[in-house]
Amino acid sequence: MNTEIFSNIGLTHYLVLAALLFVTGMAGVLLRRNVIVLLMSIELMLNSVNLTFVAFSKFLGILDGHIMVFFVMTIAAAEAAVGLALAVSIFKRFNEVNIRFFEHLKG
Amino acid sequence: MTADAFLFWFLAIVTLVSGLSVILMSNPIYSALCLAMTMVGISALFVTLNAYFIAGVQLIVYAGAVMVLFVMVIMLFDLKKDLQAFTRGRFTGAVKIASVGLLAGLVVGAIAMSVGLLNEKTTDNPVLVGTGMESTKALGNILFSKYILGFEALGILLLVIAVGAVALARSKGGTHEH
Amino acid sequence: MNHSLLMALLILSPFVGFLINGFRYKKHSANLAGVIATTAIAISFISAILLVIDVVAMPSEARKIAVTFFEWMAVDKFKINAGFVVDQISSIMILVITGVGTLIHLFSIGYMHHDKGAAKYFAYLNLFIFNMLLLVLGDSLLVMFVGWEGVGLCSYLLIGFWFTDKEKAAAGMKAFITNRVGDAAFLLGMFVLFMTFGTLNFSELNALAPTVAEASWLGAVTLGTLFLFIGATGKSAQIPLYVWLPDAMAGPTPVSALIHAATMVTAGVYMIVRLNPLFIMAPNTMMVIAIIGAATAVFAATIGMTQWDIKKVLAYSTVSQLGYMFLACGVGAFGAAMFHLMTHAFFKALMFLGSGSVIHAMHEEQDIRKMGGLKKYLPITHVTFLLGWLAIIGVPPFAGFFSKDEILAYAFNSPLGSPVLWVCGALGATLTAFYMTRLMALTFWGKSRVPSHVHPHESPALMTIPLIVLAVLSVVGGWIGIPHVIGEHLGHIPNVWEHWLHPVISPIPGWQAIDATTEWTLMGVSVGLATISAVVAYQFYVKSPETPKKIAESIKPVYNFVYNKYFVDEAYFGAIINPLVNLSRSTWYYVDVNFIDKMTYWAGDLMRGMGSMVRSTQTGNMQQYAMYIGIGVVVALSFVIMR
Repeated sequence: MNTEIFSNIGLTHYLVLAALLFVTGMAGVLLRRNVIVLLMSIELMLNSVNLTFVAFSKFLGILDGHIMVFFVMTIAAAEAAVGLALAVSIFKRFNEVNIRFFEHLKG
Repeated sequence: MTADAFLFWFLAIVTLVSGLSVILMSNPIYSALCLAMTMVGISALFVTLNAYFIAGVQLIVYAGAVMVLFVMVIMLFDLKKDLQAFTRGRFTGAVKIASVGLLAGLVVGAIAMSVGLLNEKTTDNPVLVGTGMESTKALGNILFSKYILGFEALGILLLVIAVGAVALARSKGGTHEH
Repeated sequence: MNHSLLMALLILSPFVGFLINGFRYKKHSANLAGVIATTAIAISFISAILLVIDVVAMPSEARKIAVTFFEWMAVDKFKINAGFVVDQISSIMILVITGVGTLIHLFSIGYMHHDKGAAKYFAYLNLFIFNMLLLVLGDSLLVMFVGWEGVGLCSYLLIGFWFTDKEKAAAGMKAFITNRVGDAAFLLGMFVLFMTFGTLNFSELNALAPTVAEASWLGAVTLGTLFLFIGATGKSAQIPLYVWLPDAMAGPTPVSALIHAATMVTAGVYMIVRLNPLFIMAPNTMMVIAIIGAATAVFAATIGMTQWDIKKVLAYSTVSQLGYMFLACGVGAFGAAMFHLMTHAFFKALMFLGSGSVIHAMHEEQDIRKMGGLKKYLPITHVTFLLGWLAIIGVPPFAGFFSKDEILAYAFNSPLGSPVLWVCGALGATLTAFYMTRLMALTFWGKSRVPSHVHPHESPALMTIPLIVLAVLSVVGGWIGIPHVIGEHLGHIPNVWEHWLHPVISPIPGWQAIDATTEWTLMGVSVGLATISAVVAYQFYVKSPETPKKIAESIKPVYNFVYNKYFVDEAYFGAIINPLVNLSRSTWYYVDVNFIDKMTYWAGDLMRGMGSMVRSTQTGNMQQYAMYIGIGVVVALSFVIMR
């Protein structure tokens, strides 16, 4: 059995790991009902993207990926702040933080 | 198996398992703790990629500040275990899971197909192999020169978000008048 | 002064007046509106005089001022300029239009004194003069057509001026629609002429005309001129399209005087005279014109004998006199037609304004059975009306005598005429004398039948001055066209009129000078008949008012037939209008409502059904939308990978 794939860690490994983390986060966004957990899933997706940035940065030898990560982190923090503020707002009214209270997007 | 490879596999398994736990735990506080664990794992992965500064920021901003925010909010709401953690609807649920699985397969396939092209371009940047001082310094240089506009814009964004978040949290609640 | 400037002043001054009064149409001050409008026309009149003085100063063969302001349109061969021409023919017209127009504007100030819409009225009147000037000055058929349509519009607006009265609004509509029938033919005529000659310019058409003499009925020139003549029957109220003119009397009386007696209705005659070299080349058309003209002259006169409305009598008289002009055109006497056009403008405008004065005095009463003996209440109106009456029945030396007898002489002697046409003309003159005397007798003479609560009063000076001026013109207006047979006995007075028009009037082919004896005889017969007829009418309506009633009683069926205008309106309704209305109604119901409307409803229902099918996907559930995004990404990515 070729153990090359286990012993020689390359870009592919990081990218696959990031992809799996991303779809995990996406599954969370699609399936969970708790708004706070939804926000956490979004954080997970953003982190997986960060991982790809840093991996590419390392393997292509360009530093700009790090800057992107920096930006993404800032925006993620901002988004978490707003999302949580919304969650607080919903909780104040319904005493619950369920996604079904957002079902007003229909005509 | 080298130490590098072992470290990667260990961190990958930790990160993936804790990431899955985030969406599988029905109690939000456990989800939050699992997410913190994921953050730490990703931070360690950054270290394996020689991104020391980013790894530090990841620990401080994410595992520190953002996660504390989440936990604080959960504490504020005094949330118990969700009675129904997942959305209803078997058909849409199946479609969702199927699309997620398909996406995973497709992304992995795409990476496997395209990485052969990328490997050829792979080089070693002297900045990215040292102890970290050099890479952090270079990062600072590039951030305050080439990306200064984006940096300043982010500053404004953060200010707006801070004000907006306070305003939202002060409102009576709900997205619509009932 | 510069000719372009004068021309612009002549044409645009009424338009400016229209704009000013048009923008202040809500103002109630009749006097100010009238002064503005009259000033505008007076400026026009002065420019016209200056232009005509310059034309007169030119050598007789080159009397023409042509001004081209800009190129209106140019499509391949089809080039039309906004060009205007003052020559021998149009100089007469502009003097009549602006001159009589000024007098009638002046009269209107007094007549419309109490009307709340006076500003609007004067705006329309100015717009009419503007369009009429376009019509007569235009150097091509198309420019003329612009004015032709414009005067039709103004006529419609002014007939229906008191549009709150349904009958008057309907009269305006009738005039407009009847005119449209003629206008369609006018357009066809333009098409035919353009196809044949490749131009619509008058001078080019007239220059090309002598090359195309033809005798067949279906030749291009015959067809084109026939179509143009049908257009003229619409505008100039000839058989079969005359029906609108009597109804047009619903408008204010000065309008009847200006538009429906002196100017607009003569547009058809003017158009034929303008194109006379072309018409003379189509003998068949000339024959049709002469027959229609003679028939109209007699036909309308018979109806005029039975009417009781003072304005209706004058309206039928106008139709009859226009018939004379067409008769003149038809026998090739274009100069005589223009002559009669001018004298008729004077005396008919005078009589209409006189009737306006009477109606004003009688508090809007138009029925002559309720008048009589107005002589002592309205002395000035009576005297001026009397002079107009003498002019129209053709008593020498009043204006109507010269023009009418010239037409009759031509009808008898011209190779295109015939004794039959002369008999018609003389009969028409006899009938005219009868009904005009009847009108005079019933209105001004005899015993008063005025209801006791009405107190007639003479009109103010503003209204009588135009009457006096027009009366003078009705007397002396004919003296510029004294025939040679009379002229040589009076110390060789030349026929100024004939000399003036000679260069622009085509000679009648095969014309032989009329000998003096015949001319004297014809003149004597027609004047004698008219005199006898007038005396008889005087006897009937003044001396023994019972006689006409007895006669009418004894020929009751005939009388009723004529009194009801030969049931022409009813025939038109039965034969043309009602079938058309029914056709439109059924197409509306079967095609529009049942087919086209339903199709649009079906289209709407289809869209709504499709929408309701898709609507179930719009649940408002955010996570479902995220799922759609995910599916989309999957599809896009698989497309990229499978490629």
